[in-house]
Amino acid sequence: MTNARRWLRSHGKVLATAVSGTLFAVGWSLGYVGYGVVGDVALLVAALVGGYGVAKKAYHTLRTGTVGINTLVTLAAVGAIAIGEYWEAAGVVFLFSLGGYLEGRTMRRTRAALQELLEKSPDTAVVRRDGEEVEVPAHEVEEGEVVVVRPGDSVPVDGVVTRGESAVDQSSVTGESAPVRKTEKDEVYAGTVNQEGALDVRATGTGSDTTLQRIIRRVEEAQEAKSPTETLVEKFAKYYTPAVVLLAVGTYAVTRNAMVSLTLLVIGCPGALVIGPPVSIVSAVGNAARNGVLMKGGEHLERAGKIGVVAFDKTGTLTKGETTVSEVRGFGVDDDDALRYAAVAERRSEHHLADAVLDEFRSRSDGYATDGGVEASVRPLPEPETFEVEAGKGVAAKYDRERIVVGNSVLLDEEGIEASEEVTEYAEGREKGGETAVYVAVDGTVVGVISLRDEVRDAAAEVVSDLNAAGVRTVMLTGDNERTARAVAEEVGIDDYRAELLPEEKQDAIEEMRNEGEVVAMVGDGINDAPSLAAADVGIAMGAAGTDTAIEVADMALMADDLRRIPYAVGLSKVTRLNIGENVAIAVATVLVLLAGVFTGYVTMATGMFAHIVSVLVVIVNGMRLTWYR
Amino acid sequence: MTETTQYRVLDFDCPTCASNVERALEKTEGVESVEVHFTTGRIEVEHDEDADTDELKGAIENQGYTPEAIRG
Repeated sequence: MTNARRWLRSHGKVLATAVSGTLFAVGWSLGYVGYGVVGDVALLVAALVGGYGVAKKAYHTLRTGTVGINTLVTLAAVGAIAIGEYWEAAGVVFLFSLGGYLEGRTMRRTRAALQELLEKSPDTAVVRRDGEEVEVPAHEVEEGEVVVVRPGDSVPVDGVVTRGESAVDQSSVTGESAPVRKTEKDEVYAGTVNQEGALDVRATGTGSDTTLQRIIRRVEEAQEAKSPTETLVEKFAKYYTPAVVLLAVGTYAVTRNAMVSLTLLVIGCPGALVIGPPVSIVSAVGNAARNGVLMKGGEHLERAGKIGVVAFDKTGTLTKGETTVSEVRGFGVDDDDALRYAAVAERRSEHHLADAVLDEFRSRSDGYATDGGVEASVRPLPEPETFEVEAGKGVAAKYDRERIVVGNSVLLDEEGIEASEEVTEYAEGREKGGETAVYVAVDGTVVGVISLRDEVRDAAAEVVSDLNAAGVRTVMLTGDNERTARAVAEEVGIDDYRAELLPEEKQDAIEEMRNEGEVVAMVGDGINDAPSLAAADVGIAMGAAGTDTAIEVADMALMADDLRRIPYAVGLSKVTRLNIGENVAIAVATVLVLLAGVFTGYVTMATGMFAHIVSVLVVIVNGMRLTWYR
Repeated sequence: MTETTQYRVLDFDCPTCASNVERALEKTEGVESVEVHFTTGRIEVEHDEDADTDELKGAIENQGYTPEAIRG
């Protein structure tokens, strides 16, 4: 019994629609062959079967004090029966329930796409507890516990690899199709698939606190956030329906033509108009998420569709952000001594240039383990006595009564240190080659120049030319010096670059472009560049998978460190904006044609409903096209 | 004490129908606030702890939709 009821509940709509449709066809045919009365009975029953659900909905809507489309359709059908137009009544009701069923079905597919993402994360995890491997529900794994991930299994938690090596398919999180090599100390994410070797993973995030869960929450919020067009259309719809009802009443009062005013009721729901924008947004946001791009919402997507300028941060965005020392030159001292001075001064610094200097020092010193190793050295690196950071310029430190200054030419000027012609010439030469030159000065004399190189990303030039081809201007903003900036800009093909910018000057540069009337996107790493991302119309953060703040802050977050996603995301936004426009146009055109048709007598209830439903389905399918955009 | 119950309706067919569900839930006893999202089909109801969740479900079903409970 309960099974039958459940079946009826979930299939009731289809059943009612099918029965009503069959009876409609039977009644229509009978009418043709001359059994008019029997045909009318069939049509009447068709209207009742199909209309029951509609009338029930109408009743419940009325109880909440609103007049919705169900009310209008019920009124129209009842009115049609009253004036003996059984065919029209049955037609309207059948087509309306058919339309509702088809719309619900297509929307269900769009909604279910997100659930598929959820199912990528396994329900159980194998945890090593007291030397034994036990299987527990994934959300019950405690932070810090070690999870064993066998080859072929999905990773159940966010964590850090403590043992093993493997290739992991991260497409569910970052959208990258190629598997990524993971070994000790690498981060892995819940929902990714371990392909080769067994991995031990120390859990850092479990249950709802995983990157995949955050992505899903973020995507859902984005899909729910209303776009400006959607808000506008809904406002319009609020007045449109009552206006059409008034028009129907007025028409009847003047012409006494019941058919025309009932038909007006049928087309009085702006269905295609209100359903278009949200379907476009949902499809686009979902598509982006599957390709490793998180959009904050419809508003941002519509704005991104107008992007005219993309500003790139240089370091870590156009370049790989893995700075390495390419050459050390001592002036008046040994190369290695110059490096040692720099290493002492930079020892406490957290700047990425300092890391490169320290790495170089460690790799050159015997017995000194490289990056990440234990500091067991025969010649340990001493601690400086004082240490100050000059943001964007360098550092100054005191050690063994000597004052060491490590930084750029601006810092040298400020410190009143003059570099010899030989030094300046050498440094400028390195900078013209796209490297960053850092001066090392001891007690007012430059004793060395350290050249640092940060490789340009392979995709950078292609991305810039793709954007330019799509009519989008590209700009590079960097704190680096003029010569290095020019070399990198030339390599990637950007004409417009601004060098030697302090962080707040990057914001000013963006502000300036916005004041010129451009819609500006800024691409950066989401942490250091957070203020410039916020200053831009559309802030795009790269490599966001590992950083929660970037996911929260950016208007668009690229989960992987893949520049190629930028032309894709900009393209998708533009297509989405166009798509929303198309949908609004289709809807408005349909309404206008229908109104004209009603008053000239070409459109009656059933045909009006038919056109209405077709327009709604066309708009939904048009919006869903964005699901397949590449 | 207020509690939050979430449902998902996969077969919403039009945005206005979604707002009808919202209004119907708001009129249900013990309900403090309701958010119905047409695009994702997610329904979030904040209600008294002694509100009858069967009644919440019923309010959604009366509008002609099938709610599924969301865990978590």
